[in-house]
Amino acid sequence: MTDHETTTGRETATGTDTATGTETSTVFVRAGAGGWGPGLTLRSDEQRTKVLSVTGGGIHPVAQKIADLTGAEAVDGFNTTVPDDEVVAAVINCGGTARIGVYPRKGIPTVDVYPGAPGGPLAKYITEELFVSAVGMNEVTRSTSDGDAAGAAPAGGTSDGAMSGGRDSGGGVPPRDERPSASAVAATLPVGGPLGKAFNAVTNVFVGFGSAVGSFVNTMLAAGRQTIDLTLKTILPFMAYVSLLLGIVMYTGVAEWMGQVLSPIASNPFGLLAISFVVALPFLSPVLGPGAAIAQVVGTLMGSQIAIGALPVQYALPTLFAINGQVGCDFVPVGLALGEAKPETVAVGTPAVLISRMITSPLAVVIAWAASFGL
Amino acid sequence: MQVLAVMAQQQPAQPEGETSGGVLGVFEWLGTHFIGLFEEAGSQFVDLVTGILPTLIVLLTFMYALTTFVGEERVTRAVQWCGRWWITRYSVMPILALLMLTNPMAYSFGRFLPERYKPAFYDSAVSFVHPVTTFFPYANAGELFVWFGIANGVTQLGESTVPLALRYFLVGILVIFIRGIVTEKLTAFMIKRTGRSEVFADFDRQFEQAKASEKA
Repeated sequence: MTDHETTTGRETATGTDTATGTETSTVFVRAGAGGWGPGLTLRSDEQRTKVLSVTGGGIHPVAQKIADLTGAEAVDGFNTTVPDDEVVAAVINCGGTARIGVYPRKGIPTVDVYPGAPGGPLAKYITEELFVSAVGMNEVTRSTSDGDAAGAAPAGGTSDGAMSGGRDSGGGVPPRDERPSASAVAATLPVGGPLGKAFNAVTNVFVGFGSAVGSFVNTMLAAGRQTIDLTLKTILPFMAYVSLLLGIVMYTGVAEWMGQVLSPIASNPFGLLAISFVVALPFLSPVLGPGAAIAQVVGTLMGSQIAIGALPVQYALPTLFAINGQVGCDFVPVGLALGEAKPETVAVGTPAVLISRMITSPLAVVIAWAASFGL
Repeated sequence: MQVLAVMAQQQPAQPEGETSGGVLGVFEWLGTHFIGLFEEAGSQFVDLVTGILPTLIVLLTFMYALTTFVGEERVTRAVQWCGRWWITRYSVMPILALLMLTNPMAYSFGRFLPERYKPAFYDSAVSFVHPVTTFFPYANAGELFVWFGIANGVTQLGESTVPLALRYFLVGILVIFIRGIVTEKLTAFMIKRTGRSEVFADFDRQFEQAKASEKA
């Protein structure tokens, strides 16, 4: 993050720039871990030749890489002003709510190196077409398909599209001449300015410290956002559904009736062994698996039996294994595909897993039963 | 509520207006039990939300942040190292994979293994997605109720769930280890029986080559 680096960066950029005429490639930028957005396809053309790095402390390596790959020039947005219509993309480091929307609002594709997500007063401008976050060096790749690029390239069409889209939604992106110009926006940013190297060195220290704190806060914020998202979308709905089920079972007395039927089976090791074997049968296990829905419901019901005393606590552990012998059996081909397995591996692996369960599922119950003495 | 129920039962006993009382009584009975059912369900919901959610939310936040700080690359290196030996391949490796990448992306670490070990690794990893929720619910936050369902019952008895959680976690590790080995053997058996020995020997050679070229 020194001045020297910045200079080298510029040189590299200029070096690539000379090759622009012959070789311009599209670049695909995907979201990193904890990031947002399906990704952006970026390309430079005659007019758009600059990658704006608005990160403080010189040109960010991600901006440099995008510039190198697209054949554009990386410029430091803190020192220089670039007209909006010359910008291929803006690279920012913001997980907060203010700067994050400035460039999307102007119709400029924005790459956030922090795990930011739409929020704050400008949230409505931060769209999938214009924004991607948590981007590191590995997320910037040369695009393979030029077909995609035509549609998603940040040519005039994109910002026009965003403008018309904005009008539809009522908010509206103001026409270009009414929007704040790059210089106006740059003026609002805490710029070190061209005031000499000593000043730059001092600001760089502060910027570096600020970046570290910012990165920490933003990571925590992103984690919180991810958690609340998951709570709202997955955990609470499941709780609602489970509560209803429990309410019906408890109130109608079905719980006690079930207890009478289940407790003789579930409160002796052989009954549990039988359950674990049945759920692991190769023709049943893939059906019982999806989303662990059945295991979760049975787990909750068994829990209600433990609560009313129909099922002794020491059988909780073997029960946990008995009701779950089918775990993941519905997902074998997908799980193997995630591990980049070849079709032959899926062909031999799926039956191997299913057969293995018939042995290991009862075995797990025996181990769990043995381990639950003294609970 | 109980008073209403008693009234509903008493109503038909009155000599006058027996029919209307009977009909009303049926409706009252229905009304009482209809709303009672949902009141019971509602109190279950409150129990779940107040009992589980607050701790869960801050724990999830902490763990998500921690995995971001640790970084995928570092874990990837550790996982690759674990994949080399059979002891770690079905114990440390699936656990690390789940803690870092969570369900279902954890299975993508199978790509660091030769083809013949991939089914066993998947089996091992997927079998840990519920024991892991005892102490690290973020790793499979969509399927919490296999564990929480049972644990909730134990909590309602007024007992601590920690001893049970610890045993579930440890027995889980033992079970995925055994499961990995059994599935590995069965995969080898299936390869032989379906006459694919040559194909998989080929895969092994490709894997070694890829590894060698990566090092070079």
